[in-house]
Amino acid sequence: MSETVQPMTDSSTRTGQRPMISLQGVSKTYPKQSKPAVAELSLDVPEGAIVMLIGPSGCGKTTTLKMMNRLIEPSSGRILLDGDDVTDVNGDQLRRRIGYVIQQVGLFPHLTIADNVAVVPKMLGWDKARVTRRVDELLRLVGMEPGDFRDRYPRQLSGGQQQRVGVARGLAADPPVMLMDEPFGAIDPITRERLQEEFLEVQRQVAKTICFVTHDLSEAVKLGDRIAVFGPGGRLAQYDTPDEVLTNPADEFVAEFVGSGAAVRRLSLLELSRLELEEVVISSGGAPTNRHPVLAVNDAGRPERWLHLPGSGDPPPLVVVPLSGTVYDAVDVMLDGRAPLVVVVDDDGQPRGALRWDALVGDLRTKGRLP
Amino acid sequence: MTAVTAGPAPAAQAPPRQRSWARQNWDLVVTPALVLGGLAAVLGWASVHQWDSVESRALQPSYLWARFTEHVWLAVASTVLVIAIALPLGILLSRPAVGRLRTGTLAFGGFMQALPPYGVIILLAFILGFGTTTAIIALVLASFLPVLTNTVVGLRHVDPALIEAARGMGMSARQTLWRVEIPLAVPVMVAGIRVALVLNVGTATLATFISAGGLGEPISSMLKLGRPEAAFVVSAIVAALALLIDWLAGLAERIVAGRTA
Repeated sequence: MSETVQPMTDSSTRTGQRPMISLQGVSKTYPKQSKPAVAELSLDVPEGAIVMLIGPSGCGKTTTLKMMNRLIEPSSGRILLDGDDVTDVNGDQLRRRIGYVIQQVGLFPHLTIADNVAVVPKMLGWDKARVTRRVDELLRLVGMEPGDFRDRYPRQLSGGQQQRVGVARGLAADPPVMLMDEPFGAIDPITRERLQEEFLEVQRQVAKTICFVTHDLSEAVKLGDRIAVFGPGGRLAQYDTPDEVLTNPADEFVAEFVGSGAAVRRLSLLELSRLELEEVVISSGGAPTNRHPVLAVNDAGRPERWLHLPGSGDPPPLVVVPLSGTVYDAVDVMLDGRAPLVVVVDDDGQPRGALRWDALVGDLRTKGRLP
Repeated sequence: MTAVTAGPAPAAQAPPRQRSWARQNWDLVVTPALVLGGLAAVLGWASVHQWDSVESRALQPSYLWARFTEHVWLAVASTVLVIAIALPLGILLSRPAVGRLRTGTLAFGGFMQALPPYGVIILLAFILGFGTTTAIIALVLASFLPVLTNTVVGLRHVDPALIEAARGMGMSARQTLWRVEIPLAVPVMVAGIRVALVLNVGTATLATFISAGGLGEPISSMLKLGRPEAAFVVSAIVAALALLIDWLAGLAERIVAGRTA
C-alpha cells in the first residue's frame, strides 16, 4: 500500500523527469475519524506535467491536493516542492508560491476583475505598474480583452468567463505550480469543452506543473500527462499515463473505475499522425489501380471527391479530417458522413492518406497497446 | 426625475449607472417627505394654538433644543459604544475556533434582549446612580444584541468558497478577515447598527426617569400635568427624529450593500 507508484512509460516529451512536487509517505487522518482519508501516499509530480487526480467521492483526491499547499496539514509524511522540504514552512508564504483554482471559482465579489487577479502580486509587494501589466497580460492569455473586463465586477461575468479569470488569478504571480480543484466541474458541457481546449493552449505557453482534481474520466484522459487513480481509503491505485490506465488497469478497482467506455475513450488519445495511413492515389486521368482508393483533387491540391474505391461499386461520399486530429475525430466524421473511409489532410489541406473503418477496427483490436 | 436628489450616489459608480441607481432608489424620498410634511403640520398647528403658560414653557424653542441635543447625544453615544463593543465581540465570536461559546453568548444576548428597557433603566439607576452615564449604559444593553447577532451572522454567511480561495492564495487568517470577510459582511453589520440606532432613539425617551434629560422630559411632565396636546407635539418631534435617523441609516445601508452585492 505504501510503495511509490512510478509511471512505467513517458510517452510525452513535454514533461521533464525532475519531480516538482513530491509527496513522501503522506497521510491524513481527520480528527474523530479512525480511518485515514489519505494513507501513506507517495507521489512524484514531474516538472511541467499535468497530473490528474481522479477517483470516486471520498477517496482523498481533494485532501491530497490541499495537502500540497498545506491548506490541509498532513498528519505524517513529507512534502517537497522543487526539492525543498516545505512540510514545516509558513503555510501562507508557501501558498503565495502556488497557484490555486477551485470549482466555485471564488472570485471576490467586492473587487473588480483586475483587483481579483492582482491579489497575490499585491501581497508579494509588486509595484503598481508591474501589477497592471501582469493583469492585462493574463487577461489576454485567457482570452479576455483587458479593456473590456478589467474594471468589471465578477457578477457581471458568465460562469465560463469567471473561471477564466479564476485561472488567470491562479497564474498571477507566475507560480511554478498550479493546483486546480475541479475547476471546470460546475460549468455546462459545451463551455467546459472550450475551457479545456483553452486550458491546454494556455499550458502550452506557460508550461506549469499542474495538479488537477477531477471526477470526470474524459477530462482526465483529455488533459492529463499522468493520471493518479485513487481508490477507497485514500490509496493510490494506479499512477500512469492515460493510455496505460485505460489499456492496462493495475487492478480490479481501476478496471471497474475506468469502465466499459475505456476503448472509446482511447480513440481520443490516439493521434492520426501516429497511424500508418492507407495510401491514396491522386487521380491523374490514368486508369484506376485495383489496390488503392483514387481521389480527385482541385487546383489547390485539396480533395474534391472519390473517383474509385477498390472492392465497391459507387464511390462513397468524401469526408476529411485533419492530421492533427485523433482517431476519435476520424470516427466522428465517418459516422456523421456515413462514409466507410476518411481522407486525412495536413495543415495545407493536402491529402496525406486515408483511414478505413474496417482497418480502424482491425487495427485497434490487433495492436492492443498504443505506442 | 426628482429622485436624483434622494441622496448622493455611491462615488465609485460610473455615470451611466447613476440614473439607474436613482431609479431603483426613488422610494428613498418618500420617507423624508412624509416625515417632514407631518412634522411641519404639527409644528404649524402648534404655532397657532393657544398654549397656557406651563405649556409655553415646555414648548419654548430654546428649552426643546436643549432636550433635543441631549436626546441625540444619548442615542448617538450609546450606539457608538455598542458598535465599539459588539462589533469586535461579534468578529471574535464568528471565528470557527470559538464554536460552542458562540451559541452560548448569543443565547445570553437573546435573554438580555428580552428584558424591558424601562426596567433595565430603573434597575441600573439603583445600582449606578441617576444620570446620563447610567442612561447610556442602559441603552447600550438594550441595543447590544442586534449589532452582535448581525455581525456574527454576516461574517458566518460569507461564502466558504471565498474564504477557501483567499487562504488558498496565501492570505493569512487576518488578511482574509479584513480583505474578504468584513467587506462582504458590512451590509449585514450596518443593518444591525441601524436597528440599534433606532432602538436607542426611542428608548432614550425613558432617560428622563433617571434625570438624564432628553425629549422624554417634556413629554412625561406634560402628561403628568394633564396637558396631552403639548406632549403630542414633543412626541411628534421624537417620532420624526427616529424616522429620519432610520432613513439616514437606511441610505447608508443601501450604499454599502450596492458596493458589495
